[in-house]
Amino acid sequence: MSAQPAGPGQAPTPATDELRQEFRTRVFQVLAQTFQAELEPADRWGLTVVLPGSRLRDAVAFLRDSEEFRLDMMVDITAIDYLGYPGHDQARFAVVYNLKSTAYAAHRLRLKVRVEEESASVPSVHDLFAIANWQERETWDQYGIAFDGHPDLRRLLNHIEFVGHPLRKDYPARKRQWLSTNDPLVAPLDARLRGRGFEVLEGAGLNSPTVEETGLLGKPSVEKINVVGRHK
Amino acid sequence: MKVRTPEGDKIDLLTVNIGPSHPATHGALRAFVALDGETVSGAVTEIGYLHRGFEKMVEQGTYQQVLPYTDRLNYCSAILNNIGFCTAVENMFEVSIPERTTTLRVLLSELSRIIDHEVCVAAACVDLGALTNYWYMFNPREDVYAIWEKLSGARLTNAFSRIGGMYRDTYEGFEDDVAKVLVSIEKGLDDAFRLLEHNRLFIERTRGVCGFTPAQAIGFGWTGPCLRSTGVDRDLRKDEPYLGYETYDFQTVVGTHGDTYDRLMVRMYEMRESLSICRQALGRLKPGPINTDDARLALPGHDKAYHDMEALINHFKLVYDGVRPPAGEHYGATEAANGELGFLVVSDGSGKPWKIKVRPPCLTQFAAYADMVEGSLVADAVACLSSINIIAGELDR
Repeated sequence: MSAQPAGPGQAPTPATDELRQEFRTRVFQVLAQTFQAELEPADRWGLTVVLPGSRLRDAVAFLRDSEEFRLDMMVDITAIDYLGYPGHDQARFAVVYNLKSTAYAAHRLRLKVRVEEESASVPSVHDLFAIANWQERETWDQYGIAFDGHPDLRRLLNHIEFVGHPLRKDYPARKRQWLSTNDPLVAPLDARLRGRGFEVLEGAGLNSPTVEETGLLGKPSVEKINVVGRHK
Repeated sequence: MKVRTPEGDKIDLLTVNIGPSHPATHGALRAFVALDGETVSGAVTEIGYLHRGFEKMVEQGTYQQVLPYTDRLNYCSAILNNIGFCTAVENMFEVSIPERTTTLRVLLSELSRIIDHEVCVAAACVDLGALTNYWYMFNPREDVYAIWEKLSGARLTNAFSRIGGMYRDTYEGFEDDVAKVLVSIEKGLDDAFRLLEHNRLFIERTRGVCGFTPAQAIGFGWTGPCLRSTGVDRDLRKDEPYLGYETYDFQTVVGTHGDTYDRLMVRMYEMRESLSICRQALGRLKPGPINTDDARLALPGHDKAYHDMEALINHFKLVYDGVRPPAGEHYGATEAANGELGFLVVSDGSGKPWKIKVRPPCLTQFAAYADMVEGSLVADAVACLSSINIIAGELDR
């Protein structure tokens, strides 16, 4: 028995194990045929497929627009750093795309793209899902994986003076970093206004100094601040 | 700043920082806006002021030690986060938890959902200048905190759930306290409804303000009350039932316009549904064990640990090494007060999580904030911000 898609304002058929299984079998079959997807055995409870990075955008767009699957919501984007993971012999990083459907309750799927440490980049999907813009910024911030084609790849959670990517396994958990200023938002605001059809004739003059003007970029180093002594 | 508008007029825009420390932001959020008079012409947002490295810190300890960190995600409904995390890890063990715990978790979840929605609606009303609702809603909320304190010893950061059970059983008189608090919540809610539902001031300040369409909401990955306010009927408690939610009789609440009015009213009506679930759960609460007896998760009792060598070793290993989910990757999601709260857990088979990624429901709402407020008035932008209920604890992690 297949579920019918939920129309506007309708609740979807509740997910059952049979419906989930049916979806997983079907979607994997299609992805394996069309996008060279492979099964990720580490996900023993749901379905995760591994895709080559070059096929990612096509696969995401296909899954979003396909009448059969309707994976129209990007739930989350994150990465995994496998440095030192027992028995791991693949690329160091994997970027994980977590998709679900608002029409079928049983449709959930994770896509995974393996990323080598040297290249550390994947194609951006910011134009396919509005939320991917921030999710990719967060992944860049935390893991240092670049998203090719992203229009505004700034850090999301950490500050502009932050050096390194904290969720990498070789970043020390107790390391502290100095912050001296707010993130400058004048340029993003200009870009935003231009995107809305305004022509910026004269930018906003703000009295807060830029990072370079503060002279604090990269120093004083954390070790020199007395407060940090107690974390040793 | 000087700009030429799309219509061709040369005008001066005033740039203003709303936040990061501003009473109307209810937390440390920053919106940098360009104003044409009182109208927001453009907005950009910055987050991270409450970033404390949740995902890095949870990799340093055992699975059990993650729990107090989850309290600090959405601190208005800490128990919902505890339960969400425990459910995700329990899924990996494929362990079933005792019936009393399931029922208790539903009861505590719904009470938490009510007090979370009360914070959102009451604070939003305060931002609109309607102070009375605040007292009607916050007094019963205080009573719920009194129950939390008796139950777990803490008001805000309860850390009450455990992987495979609960911290401890309820205290004597718990059922009576809950029954009483449900009555006072309902009274406060009815009073607030009477003040708001047909209040012209409230309606004119909120209806048609900062609306979002279903397509926009889905594109921004919205879940929970905000998604439902746009007319999309999705609720994990119904669609992907957990904790036996499919056996409870309740409705999902769906809006029509996705504006500030709908976002607040969806929460108001949801509280009524939650009250009904609480009553049903209270009726089902039967005495019984609260912790699973699965030796991979549960500490052996004192009688065993003191007299049996194997049990002593088990106790020692569980406390020192932590519980050890099978190696692999699992995403578990529950319906928290703001929407889908997910935990992507990566295990290498040891007692320390390799990685735990939180999927915070707030982030998707705040990512859309600039899109929502552009073209509206500053005062409406403030009302909009309180209606999407941004909790910086889970936004910034």
